[in-house]
Amino acid sequence: MITVDLPGKNKANPKTTDRSGAGGSAGDAPNLGPSEFALDIHEKTFDELSLVLRGRLWVENAEEVRAALMRAVEHEPLKNVVVDLSEIDYIDSSGAAVLMELHRKCREMNNMLKLARAGPSVRRFLDLVDFDHFKDKPILRPRAAPPLLVQIGGGAERIYHTVQDIIMFIGAASIALYEDLRHPRQAKWDPLWKLIERSGSDAVPIVAILSFLMGAILAFQAAIQLRKFGANVFVADLVSVSICLEMGPLLAAIIVAGRSGAAYAAHIGAMQVTEEVDALRLMGVDPIRYLVSPRIVAVGLTLPCLTIFADIVGILGGCVVSVFALDLTPITYFNQVGRVLEVSDVVKGLIKSFAYGVEIAAIGCLRGFQVRGGAESVGQATTSAVVTSVFVLTVTDAIFAMFYHYTRFL
Amino acid sequence: MNERQSVLAANDPIISVRNVTAGYGDEIIIRDISFDVFAGEIFSILGRSGCGKTTLFKVMTGLLEPVEGAVVIDGEEIRAGESAQTGSVLKKVGVTFQSGALFTSMTLAENAAFPLRLHTRLPADTIERIVKLKLSEVGLEGFEELLPAELSGGMRKRAALARAMALDPKILFFDEPFAGLDPVTSATLDETILKINRSLGTTMVIVTHELASILRTADRVIMLDREEKGIIAQGSPQELRDKSDDPRVRDFFNRSASGPDSNEKSP
Repeated sequence: MITVDLPGKNKANPKTTDRSGAGGSAGDAPNLGPSEFALDIHEKTFDELSLVLRGRLWVENAEEVRAALMRAVEHEPLKNVVVDLSEIDYIDSSGAAVLMELHRKCREMNNMLKLARAGPSVRRFLDLVDFDHFKDKPILRPRAAPPLLVQIGGGAERIYHTVQDIIMFIGAASIALYEDLRHPRQAKWDPLWKLIERSGSDAVPIVAILSFLMGAILAFQAAIQLRKFGANVFVADLVSVSICLEMGPLLAAIIVAGRSGAAYAAHIGAMQVTEEVDALRLMGVDPIRYLVSPRIVAVGLTLPCLTIFADIVGILGGCVVSVFALDLTPITYFNQVGRVLEVSDVVKGLIKSFAYGVEIAAIGCLRGFQVRGGAESVGQATTSAVVTSVFVLTVTDAIFAMFYHYTRFL
Repeated sequence: MNERQSVLAANDPIISVRNVTAGYGDEIIIRDISFDVFAGEIFSILGRSGCGKTTLFKVMTGLLEPVEGAVVIDGEEIRAGESAQTGSVLKKVGVTFQSGALFTSMTLAENAAFPLRLHTRLPADTIERIVKLKLSEVGLEGFEELLPAELSGGMRKRAALARAMALDPKILFFDEPFAGLDPVTSATLDETILKINRSLGTTMVIVTHELASILRTADRVIMLDREEKGIIAQGSPQELRDKSDDPRVRDFFNRSASGPDSNEKSP
């Protein structure tokens, strides 16, 4: 609460103190603690308001100081406001921001603000402050969204560029791959073994665990239904055929998309950010040929291997559930698998998985090459590598299903 | 010792490096280094590539745990792995990295506002004022809404400096602030550093090997050496340039490669 004494009205006590800050005492010569400040308000003449700030004016109490100053000048239009800074011990940027706010407020009320008697350190600090900054446009507001039509246009343009990128990438990657396979001796295959290890053998444990569980789950769900008809043994049919034709290839592919596809996008994206891709280009190395074709070859080779592995482990998973939940013996289970599962089923799955492998590696690399800017863009590329891969895998699966059905392939 | 130096030396040491030994794994890079940095001075750590400047910098900023010894900043020991939330000492320190380390997804203003939003509860318009103030102190008014990718190298360093200064730290650390800048840009950055030091009294620790900037800005320097794994000279840069007997120091300041161990160590 501020009361302002008019001169002559109360000569005995010409000063009223508004004191804020933690534990400030009301004494006249207060010992201010480190986070405390004091604001004394005098009204010397009818057109001058004199404020004395004391203590520290910094980030810990900036809000309180601001509130106190605003209250002090709120109802005092058309005056000279003089702020005495001689007793300020310390001021920081938030203190300066408060004084800027006071300046703005005074201008609004047609007051003249004068900062007086600043000590040398405060003065040097305030010399850096441009008190007219508030006139500028805001800098931290989120930018307004452009009009709807502009957004639609922007979106269309992005789609156009993305499609252009994809077509150019597919072209460049096909040429690179064709050249590499036609002249395998000229190609750089050194990174290939490392890539095969990373995308293939390193993925074996997770593929094993997930496909075992997938086989077990399939068997379990089938068992619940088939038991009603006493058709327990057909669990083997269901598990082996669906694992080899669909679940095995798809599961392995999704795992590899999450591991290697994402890794390729992040790796090439980061290379793009640190200008390594440009360095390759200037050393006369075609980045597509150097980075993309070994990756496509690596994943194209390893994914079918992982798929065979997933098939075997998945069928094993089904066997375990059949033995424990359906009282089948392993021999009956595997006999039934042998009767129903044909080599063509497995081969169909492997052909699909080869196509998946090529797609995953290509999408991962493509997204990596599309990175522009910095860390955020790498994150987006990684996400979109996985999402695009899963989408493309599913579409490819549907195409293969129709192809196999209508052409009576194998 | 000139007048300014004697005044500064009368201040209390704000950073004390005490018997620090540090390295990576089994490899010791610096051994048993001790020195003080006084409040308000511009202190520079010099040396040729591979002498342990960056290692010492990492120890002083708490990014690397020393094998032995301690670094005391403003009365508090700094520990590696401490976040600014738990270690109040880190709030007294602002660091600019060699590459700027600006967040690429944020505008300059957002970069500079980041520590303020994180560590203070100031209202948005006060933060905005402080950000404008800081960006104008480093000479970047009008560029507030650009992304780091849209800036030149010198501007990125300035923006990083504005972000490091956002919380008004008592101490500013610079890792190779002049690396990759042209002479004119370096000189204007020198001016900015001097201006901030003189007006705010901020203590500055600069790791660099940029001779011209050292001579223009630094009050006191220490020079490290790879063979010695420690300090081979200290004093004002002018003293070292003009009066040092050590051939390694003379070579450094004369940009010559004639000294006895001037060959780069073979790996």
